[in-house]
Amino acid sequence: MTKKTIIFMIISILFLFITGCWNRRELNELAISVAEGIDKEDENYKISSQIVIPGQIESKTAGPTSSAPVELYTAIEDTVFEGMREITTKSPRKLYHSHLRVLVIGEALAREGISDVLDFVSRDHEFRTDFYIVIAKDTSAENILSILTSIEKIPANNMISSLETSEETWAPTMAVTLDELIKMLVTEGKNPVLAGITIHGDPSIGGTTQNLEKTASSTYLKYSDMAVFKKDKLVGWLNRDQSKGYNFIMDNINNTITDVSCPNEGKFNFEIIHSKTKVEAKVEKNTPKVDIIIQSEGNVGEVKCNIDLSKQKTIEELEKRIEENITNTIRETIKAVQEDFGVDIFGFGDAIHRSDTKSWNKLKEDWNDTHFTDLDMQVQADIKIRRLGKIGNSILPEIKE
Amino acid sequence: MLIENIRSIRRIKKGEIMRRRIQKLTKKKTKDLNSKALDQKQKKSIISSLEESIKYINETLGNSDDFIVRKIRIGKEEQINIGIFYIDGLVDTQKINDFVIEPLMFDFQDKNIHSKHDLLTVIKDSTISVGDIEDVTDYGSLLSSLASGQIIILVDGFTKGFTIGLTNENYRGVTEPSQETVVRGPKEGFTETLRTNTALIRRKINSPNLRVETRKIGEVTQTQVSIMYIRGIVNEKVLEEVRTRLSKINIDGLLESNYIEELIQDKTFSPFPTMYNTERPDVVSACLLEGRVAILVNGTPFVLLVPSLFIQFFQAAEDHYQRWDFSTFIRFLRIACFFITLLAPSLFIAITTYHQEMIPTQLLISLAAQREGVPFPAFIEALLMEITFEILREGGIRMPKAVGQAISIVGTLVIGTAAVEAGFISAAMVIIVAITAIASFVIPAHNMSISIRLIRFLFMGLAASFGLFGITAAFIGLILHLCSIRSFGIPYMSPFGPYNVQDQKDSLFRLPLWRLSTRPRLINQQNINREQSPSPKPPSKK
Repeated sequence: MTKKTIIFMIISILFLFITGCWNRRELNELAISVAEGIDKEDENYKISSQIVIPGQIESKTAGPTSSAPVELYTAIEDTVFEGMREITTKSPRKLYHSHLRVLVIGEALAREGISDVLDFVSRDHEFRTDFYIVIAKDTSAENILSILTSIEKIPANNMISSLETSEETWAPTMAVTLDELIKMLVTEGKNPVLAGITIHGDPSIGGTTQNLEKTASSTYLKYSDMAVFKKDKLVGWLNRDQSKGYNFIMDNINNTITDVSCPNEGKFNFEIIHSKTKVEAKVEKNTPKVDIIIQSEGNVGEVKCNIDLSKQKTIEELEKRIEENITNTIRETIKAVQEDFGVDIFGFGDAIHRSDTKSWNKLKEDWNDTHFTDLDMQVQADIKIRRLGKIGNSILPEIKE
Repeated sequence: MLIENIRSIRRIKKGEIMRRRIQKLTKKKTKDLNSKALDQKQKKSIISSLEESIKYINETLGNSDDFIVRKIRIGKEEQINIGIFYIDGLVDTQKINDFVIEPLMFDFQDKNIHSKHDLLTVIKDSTISVGDIEDVTDYGSLLSSLASGQIIILVDGFTKGFTIGLTNENYRGVTEPSQETVVRGPKEGFTETLRTNTALIRRKINSPNLRVETRKIGEVTQTQVSIMYIRGIVNEKVLEEVRTRLSKINIDGLLESNYIEELIQDKTFSPFPTMYNTERPDVVSACLLEGRVAILVNGTPFVLLVPSLFIQFFQAAEDHYQRWDFSTFIRFLRIACFFITLLAPSLFIAITTYHQEMIPTQLLISLAAQREGVPFPAFIEALLMEITFEILREGGIRMPKAVGQAISIVGTLVIGTAAVEAGFISAAMVIIVAITAIASFVIPAHNMSISIRLIRFLFMGLAASFGLFGITAAFIGLILHLCSIRSFGIPYMSPFGPYNVQDQKDSLFRLPLWRLSTRPRLINQQNINREQSPSPKPPSKK
């Protein structure tokens, strides 16, 4: 070996030590924050962070855990970043944000505007962009984060699993991640909508392990309604039907249940298993026009009336009724949004922007205030019933007393 | 007769070469006085008086106890004194009695001897009934023949004697190799005897083109070393290179083929082996058919093969004895195990200490729970476990077989249970170390697997200091290093380093046998076609 090689090797070995492992963090030095909440308290931000206690989660002993699986830290500071760091005065470990699953924003803060908060979470390198953002309805984010859940030991996991499954199989919720939210905010002619979460029951009981001891938890979290934003400010809530209508327009339906009244009396349920929505926008003589075309397929889910499903005519009739039902839901949703909020949350403006940029440039000035509210639209639905289920005609008429 | 003559000529020539080399060295004054004296003795020609000769040989051998002298008197009037010398244990005494002493004592009486000069010819050509018999005129070759287990016959009054090859065949027999076992395939392995080993190969390749070149290496041990190759297939350049490298060796003793490997390999400062070793005659035969050169050393069952490529160490004999599709799968598995052995602990260290965002949340929480209370950083934890494993492994090899089981019990108890329960080590780390250990045993070549195990520690250190950046840098360095190695002039990483589409057929993949129609291009350029077998087809309906 030449002198050069020896020197090179010594230098390389020294490299190992001079780094000092500068950003090395062992797993047991992390405070894994799975859910964070931000509220407005006077002029300050109140940061709450739900931190996993790994030993409690992974404990092998069966049965209800004697102590809480997560710990909630809160801090009140001028800025979000300061708040996050201030938590270290209470927590033994530094917060680790990379595994954040859900960010809860208090209703009060949402009404004042969320842009300041979004800057920090999208700037800091530890935050990923794939966590969900939800709005705490009628309560503070801190309260939401304090509720313990039983099937999923970590409440944050419970929150996201519930959000994802309900979005998948029950239309009126919508999971929005940070990057999607930012995309909605920066797109012209579109305003964000976020899922809302509420507490049912007494929050002070929900925060104790007592809450987990009964089969029906006395306090639980529930997704209800969707928050409508005008730019970054909360302006109101969509109810369940409106939320569903919103998801239909946004082509965000994977699987949902629609209940429709039968031709005679009673109701029947239709399960949509596949749905596709097309929004076509155009400008004719300076008036924007929007066509919404929905194509869905589905199965008969539940029949509570006397109809003969073996006849093609009945099926066609049912299809027509479902079409009417869906178009009505959508019309009513759009109407309500136009009248109550006057905010284009559906991205119709964006659709016009894409199809006719020149006209859009003229329209965009007062899009929300005048053009959107008087928007001329056509809603069409094309429904196909594919399967009737395991039985053909309902056995109801034969067994009913 | 002819072959014998050729062999004796060759032997004489070799003796001369040796002597000349020794002379050269004496001129250079690198030899000490002792060997100078030995050298002078070697030149000395045989004294005609038998008694003097015995005295001289006894003196030279320092009255060794295992040196046997048998003096007999033969002829009609018992007038001829004959001395039979051998080293006890090296020769077959039963055969000496049957084929040397008996003919001399009884058959010789009936022979007609016309002159004194005729005597030696009669003894050599018509009395002693042994195939391997040669003349000897000086004490140098006499002593070396004696030491290599041959019988010496000296006749009183002559300055010439005979050496008779009647070596004791009582060696370890041909058994199943302990290193490279197969489910299907030949179960024979090389032994410690060079001649048996060459015969094992000759039995597989019955071609007159199979050549054996033998030379003696080792000033003191005089170990026989053979080069084997197939003329017409072998790469002449490589062969010449092997010859020159072997001739440069000047060492007192040669006890195992690794001595040769270390003295002639291309790169000393590389963890990777550039010479393949095997215990299996079928592997050697396959390599010879690919144009490689085998180096056999007397006294060890491990045969060296050159040139050897990186991918060769991930191939096993069985790859060609079982279905091609399964062989291909197994080869991919071995490559996967190479990466697991090399990277599993370092990736675990890097990801858990620097890149926690890469771990799925559930797994992270589970890992974090296991780490609660572990007092060491992940790197120290991994290092401790890896070193414990190496200790157990080494302990298992050195232990007597009867106690071997104790090692596994202690190993499982200590590492598997106690360390985790005591909270010194996290369970995940035990899993990682265990999978690393098992993966390292999947690699068929032991010398490759130990080198991977060695560089694994470097990767772990870099992972602990730089995270994934360190691993990436080390991996790039590793690939650069591998591409820089040559084995006897052949690029080590071929057929990937210099990419060769044709040779992919039997490197990572193992295509059906009828597709392996050419020899590896980079090993040999001549006689490239090895078969023209058509692909199997169902019989035509006609």
